[in-house]
Amino acid sequence: MRPDDRKYTKSHEWVKIDGDTALIGITDFAVAELCNGNEGDLVYCDLPDTGRMLDQGETFGEIESVKAVSDLNTPLPGEVMEINPEIEDHLEILSTDPWDKGWMVRIKHSAATADGLLSAAEYDAFTAEAAH
Amino acid sequence: MLTTWDATPGWNMALDEALLLKGPADVSVLRIYTWSPDTLSLGYFQRLADVPAAQRFFDAHGSGLGATGPAPLGAAMPGAVVRRLTGGGAIHHQHELTFSITTRLDHPLYQGTTARSYERVHAALAGALHEMGVAAHPRGAALPRSEREGTGMCFHKSAAVDLVWGDLKGVGSAQRRRGNRVLHHGSIKLGTTPLEGEIATLDVTPAALSQAVQRALLGASSATIDGETGSPARDLRAARGDLGATAAEVPALHNVQMHAVVEADLDPAVCALAADRQAFFTSAAFLTRR
Repeated sequence: MRPDDRKYTKSHEWVKIDGDTALIGITDFAVAELCNGNEGDLVYCDLPDTGRMLDQGETFGEIESVKAVSDLNTPLPGEVMEINPEIEDHLEILSTDPWDKGWMVRIKHSAATADGLLSAAEYDAFTAEAAH
Repeated sequence: MLTTWDATPGWNMALDEALLLKGPADVSVLRIYTWSPDTLSLGYFQRLADVPAAQRFFDAHGSGLGATGPAPLGAAMPGAVVRRLTGGGAIHHQHELTFSITTRLDHPLYQGTTARSYERVHAALAGALHEMGVAAHPRGAALPRSEREGTGMCFHKSAAVDLVWGDLKGVGSAQRRRGNRVLHHGSIKLGTTPLEGEIATLDVTPAALSQAVQRALLGASSATIDGETGSPARDLRAARGDLGATAAEVPALHNVQMHAVVEADLDPAVCALAADRQAFFTSAAFLTRR
């Protein structure tokens, strides 16, 4: 069971809402698909500039692993307030702690609700299906 | 199945992007192409400074397009520089065949981990290479002789899933994953260039290799299209002749299907988007994005 204090997307991002801001990261499933247990496979990550406005679902960053570049999409719309300064130089954090130290961006979200996103239980079921 | 021989670097990258973004939802597209002028393509995350040859070119020309056209054979400078959407290292597209696959991420080739998807595509390609007498095999743990530091070149840096023969890296591969779709780039060299030195090559014609790649990825019943050198538009029209191609199972892979696509099947929006975007991929702004 993944943390139930946050919501999930089918493209394997998570969002943890705290008042009018929200932290966004990628899930353990995403990390496993990207690097298959070999954290050294994660080589590059670009995160957005602060102040950037993001629409729901918009690409906020990109990550490269095993010569594959994957887009990172925001679960909620909003303005980028802060990026995790550790991530770009220490991508192994995503493997060791995707839920807390591995947060990627903090946004001031402009969504009324997180409707349409998955609960932890729904995301668990979705990934169990995807793994088959 | 599309072949576009000797297209410009901007068009080659823009058409792949358009197929990724607006390609047919339920049809996987295998595209096989060559480049004119010969082009050095950078991985999406590479800095110009990571690839000394690209930096030299950019310093001389200020963009990815040179003023002098194709580089002469054996030149240490390419005829153009472009940045790909896919990851990995730089490739000098001369004496070489490039292919791209655009499909959904739930296609059987691409389900599961990224590494597994490379293994599946490489397994199919290895079958084709074996037919041509080349003992291609996954690299595994041992580094091949082609490994070199400081060049930024794809063929000088290998992963365990990469195909090697003669203790040299022989197939370059990279991907872009966006939403529920994937763009896969592959490169097989027919000869080396001064930028790449001693790497694995294949002593066959581009047409023969194209047919082998098609057999590997489309299946043996696929029709063959021999494109002609010329404008991208004419080459796209040439693909019209591919009506006989049918979906076929790759014997070595269960339930893997690649479908043929002809120009008439392509949404005009794909071609329009590629036309709009082709200048971007050789622009100073994109080449210096990092």
